[in-house]
Amino acid sequence: MFSHVVSLSSPETNAITGPDVRAPSPIAGGRAEAEAALAKIDLRAYAASRNHLDGAVTHLSPYIRHGILSLDEVRNHALATVADPKAAEKFIQELAWRDYWQRIYATYPDRIWQDVEPYKTGFDASEYEDDLPRDIANGATGVACIDQFVNMLADTGYLHNHARMYLAAYIVHWRRVRWQAGARWFLQHLLDGDPASNNLSWQWIASTFSNKPYIFNLDNVAKYCGADINTVPRHNLVLDQSYERLSDLLFPHMGGPHG
Amino acid sequence: MADLVWLHEDALRRTHPVFSAAASGARAVFVWDNSYLDAALIGLKRRMFIYETLAGLDMDILAGTADKVIATLVAEAHVTRLFVPATPNPAFHALLSSVRSNCPDLEISVIEDTSFVALGEPPDLKRFFRYWNKAKKHAMRHGGVLA
Repeated sequence: MFSHVVSLSSPETNAITGPDVRAPSPIAGGRAEAEAALAKIDLRAYAASRNHLDGAVTHLSPYIRHGILSLDEVRNHALATVADPKAAEKFIQELAWRDYWQRIYATYPDRIWQDVEPYKTGFDASEYEDDLPRDIANGATGVACIDQFVNMLADTGYLHNHARMYLAAYIVHWRRVRWQAGARWFLQHLLDGDPASNNLSWQWIASTFSNKPYIFNLDNVAKYCGADINTVPRHNLVLDQSYERLSDLLFPHMGGPHG
Repeated sequence: MADLVWLHEDALRRTHPVFSAAASGARAVFVWDNSYLDAALIGLKRRMFIYETLAGLDMDILAGTADKVIATLVAEAHVTRLFVPATPNPAFHALLSSVRSNCPDLEISVIEDTSFVALGEPPDLKRFFRYWNKAKKHAMRHGGVLA
């Protein structure tokens, strides 16, 4: 009926493609590791730099997602590190997003894989591809920064939130792929992959759980991602536009019957 | 009377209230069910991360089909009370329903984690900031409760 011999891999995990998907993540599991990460948080640095790829993000999300740390204890620790609770507000608001997603999951479990609302992009859901294109999964789109983000995801099992937003927006809006395909792919790779936080964030990008689609441009990537990410315009042609031009190109029917 | 704590991937710590709900020293298990993990889209890196965490929890890791393993343990060890951490995951709820069907005399307790914010009534979940406007004053306090 059962044994003490655990096989970590399965045919499903072996089918997941990408560089270094079979190597451990640099983020190690364990309560001691979680407590060490918690002890390192610096809320002043976090507030100042969290939007940048090389900023003082905490990497606590895999531990919180798996209940290795509770939201309550992380919040209490954060408050204990500051004299004025206002200094912890941005960080605690991020914890609150997790609580918010979990409450939706518990109250409306059907919303996790179904569109909460119609797309507001000018396209009907039927006009989006069902499956993730292989060039994306393999980090071979030819869009330099996108391919780097894909490789980071597969190598480490972790991505900065901005990189997640860029990848998700590229997949849904530039490639017109259903958010569900991207959400499945993220769950397979991310250590903190959570059906609620992940999928509802994809829906926020897609506009099925927000008032408008999220897009970005190359200037935004260059602003937040530092020198390690290739933001040379000729290597990222499809992203090198103004927001107005991108909106016209990506959503030519916006304002019509589908948004 | 024998108590059993059944942990899952959403609650991997010894300080979870599920342990204080069960009798002191109750046996704790995690069932490594590759079919369940496959369905949850948990890839190899995350399985390594979960396994590393389990290795530090001083509990049994049993491989097999989760609901069948638990039903077998209940029968073999004469377990009368099963304690599980609460989760919104419908796939785990289905496993629990199967255990409930196969072990009709078993008392099952689903134990909530410590709350992030203790709100008197359910908040509006239409958009985040509707929730946040209601939850903020609680969230900014130690323990998530207003003094």
